[in-house]
Amino acid sequence: MPIVVKTQNAGKGDWAIIELQGDLEVRANQDMHDQFIGDLYYNKYGQPILIIGHHILQGREQKLEKPFAVLEKSKTNDGERLLDTSLAPSQDMSLLNATTGAERTVLDHTIAQEHKSSQRTEYTVRAICTKKLIFKSRPKPIIANVAKSV
Amino acid sequence: MESMEVDENIPQLYQRTPEDVKAIVKHAKLDERQLTQLTQALYFPSADVESENLRLLELDGHMLEQIRDGQTLHFKGGQNEKVVLCTDERTYDVKGAEISNSLLLVPNLKFAAATSTSPLKSPRTGNANASLERSLNDSTEDELEVPRTLEQRSVLKVFHEYFECREIKPRFRKLGELLQLTRYSGPENEFCIERKLLFSLTQLLDTVQCSRAQFMDGLRQYRAMQLDGHMRVMEYEYEYRTISLMLGLISENSWALDEVEREETISALIGIAPEAVVSGLFDIYTIPSERCPDKFQYQESLVARIVAQNILQPGLRFRNEEFMRTWQEALPEGMTCQLSYLRGLGICDKEGAQPCIRSLSEEQLPTSINDRMRALFKTKQKWTLDEMEPYMECFTTPTLSVSTLLAKHARSLTEGGVRYYVSKH
Repeated sequence: MPIVVKTQNAGKGDWAIIELQGDLEVRANQDMHDQFIGDLYYNKYGQPILIIGHHILQGREQKLEKPFAVLEKSKTNDGERLLDTSLAPSQDMSLLNATTGAERTVLDHTIAQEHKSSQRTEYTVRAICTKKLIFKSRPKPIIANVAKSV
Repeated sequence: MESMEVDENIPQLYQRTPEDVKAIVKHAKLDERQLTQLTQALYFPSADVESENLRLLELDGHMLEQIRDGQTLHFKGGQNEKVVLCTDERTYDVKGAEISNSLLLVPNLKFAAATSTSPLKSPRTGNANASLERSLNDSTEDELEVPRTLEQRSVLKVFHEYFECREIKPRFRKLGELLQLTRYSGPENEFCIERKLLFSLTQLLDTVQCSRAQFMDGLRQYRAMQLDGHMRVMEYEYEYRTISLMLGLISENSWALDEVEREETISALIGIAPEAVVSGLFDIYTIPSERCPDKFQYQESLVARIVAQNILQPGLRFRNEEFMRTWQEALPEGMTCQLSYLRGLGICDKEGAQPCIRSLSEEQLPTSINDRMRALFKTKQKWTLDEMEPYMECFTTPTLSVSTLLAKHARSLTEGGVRYYVSKH
């Protein structure tokens, strides 16, 4: 059974990709959830500047040649829906199921399987990203030579 | 450094403040006047984001258009098949691509243009101005207080993988294979048909790895019709017999080839063949007449093929002229047979003393390219590109043509100015 990708209301709002070389890592096994990463600025020429910790990165805004769709998987866990859709296609299902037993062919089996798993998962296109900020250059260190002027 | 300090004071989650921003801008020796007014503070995803459920899918122009139009897409694939992604019209192969860079997905992030109240400067004119501006502003260091706004943005997920799509040819073969299981050969033989191998249109569409439009094409290609809610193809002989009866009505009623009447045809065959079969075949074999409204004409290529298939039984070979004569005679008057109609059904073998026509049905050949090549070269030693095409095109993709495939799987040689392909071994 095909997995549906819903596209209603896709592409609303500006979702962006920030591409960094390498990975963002934190010391030890610190919980990263909701932790502050850094500040994003733009200069008057539109160039993005990212400051993470005491590193500064200069990047560039880029149109994605091939845009990204953000898909979100969801499960239709309500059994009612599942029943509805699996029964709806036709009465053949009952025929298929009526003849359970050893004579089932492999093909039969896969098709029955495909039907059983019908509509369990579906995807929704949450947004489309058409642009990214890419930071390709090496991060430069920020040296605060004045001791605690803040 | 900034964040660590604050973390020590407050055990709660750190929230960026405008003061922190001001401080770091100063530390970084950035000229605040050269920045747009908005700073966006980025945060790692919250714990409640189920990041496992988020995927990035790379789109081509067609897919993007479909999504913008609100069209539904489908992932399709059985248990042992590689999954494909289908729009309403096209089919794509889906493959995961891993990257060492990190892609931070940030909802509602503002790009440069949206963060500035004045239009962005273009770099070229900007350089000249910048030096001027700097010299003007150098002395006025702290006089001008630039307003700075701070907005908080959460990253939704950090990706190291995305899915890329490549358009592929529809994978019909499963459709053909499923339909072949229950060939229809008349109501009297229906008791032999395994009921559980009968499938409805929806069931087939759901399982075959191609888009809806391509699926409909496939059904036409296999000449499938709906009987009692199931999609069926005919046994060749049965199809041939029924078509012959239908074609017989042309001379019986003295119709011109483009004056065929649908109702008349159907009612004339009542009692001889089931009505659904006759109307189904009629709709497959005819196109509306250009000359006479509400009348139809049979498609010469389809009629010629089913007739040829009846003559050219598997294993048989005919002398060229003999075959063409028999074939022509079996066609209704006004239709002409052409060798090109034999595409995928038979081949013309010129290797022997006398050229002959041989049956070679594409549908019966092995589905793996290596086995198929072996079978083809066993049937005939030398092939031209045109001759091979009907038997190879099922393996082609938009980037992989028949000649590329042959370059890999066969050896080519030129004889008398003609390029032939022969077995590699």
